[in-house]
Amino acid sequence: MPFREVNSKMIEATVLPGARLFSQRGAMLAYKGEVSFTPNMQGGQGGLMSMIGRRVADEATPLMTVEGSGTVLFGHGGHHIQVINLTGDTLYVEADRLLAFDGTLEQGTMFMGSQGGVMGMVRGQVTGQGLFTTTLKGHGAVAVMAHGGVVEIPITPQRPVHVDPQAYVAHHGDVRNKLSAALGLRDLVGRGSGEAFQLELSGHGAVYVQASEEKL
Amino acid sequence: MTTHPGAGPVVHDPTTLPVDDNVNAYTFCVELRGSEWFLQKGKMIAYYGSMDFNGIGHGRLDRLVRTSFHSPLHASDWVVASGTGRMLLADRAFDVNSYDLDKGNLTIRSGNLLAFQPTLALKQSIVPGFLTLIGTGTFVAASNGPVVFMEPPIRVDPQALVGWADCPSPCHHYDHGYMTGVMGGLRALTGLGGASGEEHQFEFVGAGTVLLQSSEALMAEQPAGTVPHQPGVPGGGGAPGHGPGQGGTPRLPGQLGDLQRRFGL
Repeated sequence: MPFREVNSKMIEATVLPGARLFSQRGAMLAYKGEVSFTPNMQGGQGGLMSMIGRRVADEATPLMTVEGSGTVLFGHGGHHIQVINLTGDTLYVEADRLLAFDGTLEQGTMFMGSQGGVMGMVRGQVTGQGLFTTTLKGHGAVAVMAHGGVVEIPITPQRPVHVDPQAYVAHHGDVRNKLSAALGLRDLVGRGSGEAFQLELSGHGAVYVQASEEKL
Repeated sequence: MTTHPGAGPVVHDPTTLPVDDNVNAYTFCVELRGSEWFLQKGKMIAYYGSMDFNGIGHGRLDRLVRTSFHSPLHASDWVVASGTGRMLLADRAFDVNSYDLDKGNLTIRSGNLLAFQPTLALKQSIVPGFLTLIGTGTFVAASNGPVVFMEPPIRVDPQALVGWADCPSPCHHYDHGYMTGVMGGLRALTGLGGASGEEHQFEFVGAGTVLLQSSEALMAEQPAGTVPHQPGVPGGGGAPGHGPGQGGTPRLPGQLGDLQRRFGL
């Protein structure tokens, strides 16, 4: 468990020799011990091809590699931080929400259209995820940033969860998501409820929702 | 002062307001009983009772200013609250906390200090943009996110530093290990790969406490006064040919700053 929550806006990461961490550039607040921060040209793991993939997908957030031995405090922009521990499943999150994550996690990018075709792409546009999103897979911890506090809502097969696309932060597990539109005549004449689009998540896992509709 | 879930907002009246304590994370209540407090202009949001707020430089307050301020140029940014009652202090919904000093000293970023008791003496720190409080008493400071206390040795991002107590003044520390070697040289020459943004820290050693805020978003800096232009005064610019550093162009994020200069870029 390399991340410890100091308070709602700061985490403490323990860096051990041989293990490495990735974090967003400039998010280090303080450190003890001998720790080095190396800007990561590839924007994460993998070789050149992963880097190009991320660049094309616009998921190439500037990351740095954190190595050495000591403890590091991370925080960024006064955003709230949620630590998510992954146990073998996949986390779907926008790259710019990633504050820090374990080097043992496998990083990838996913095309939104691969989940639900054109509707997936529309969904990406509405949630602000764009056409691609970042995936993290394996065993380890991820620190995700959100505007306002974060609520974890479990998703079970019997109880699908509806989320405002702007308040969506991340989700993990075996989850299918689809955009449910409740557009009506009222929306066309400008008398809508402002909640015309909702993200419906069903399956098995959890979704993280921020207490604000503001993007990072 | 806990809010009970489902009980609705807590309604305060003059008797239930906490005395010299936080009302919530963003508001602090100070009780005056014929005593005085210094506050930064515009940080009082409400008060009960009868209070006077006087700008400093008022004849009656001259003696007070003389004992508590040692930087006459900077005193105009402060007001003195006097009278009886309770007043609420807040600053743009930043986290507010009070700190007690007992014959101690604490140096704080000028923009973070909201108010202090006149038993404390406010002085300019040798470090530009910081103020030092010396003596016994209470002061109130704001921070972006809760304040975290750490023990030295520690290296701190300059933007996350709120202040430090009892320990020697910090020094600059530069990490540029990745700039060495063949790949590092290429990186320095071409600028490819960028900078990690963490090349420059303040390093604290010795015994004391370092105060950090949970974010790198700085609060607006308050003028901390200028220092006399004399040789030997840091920041005074008195001594000619005194090396780079002071008064240069502001550093942009992602820029290597002094490192860049060191590598001749």
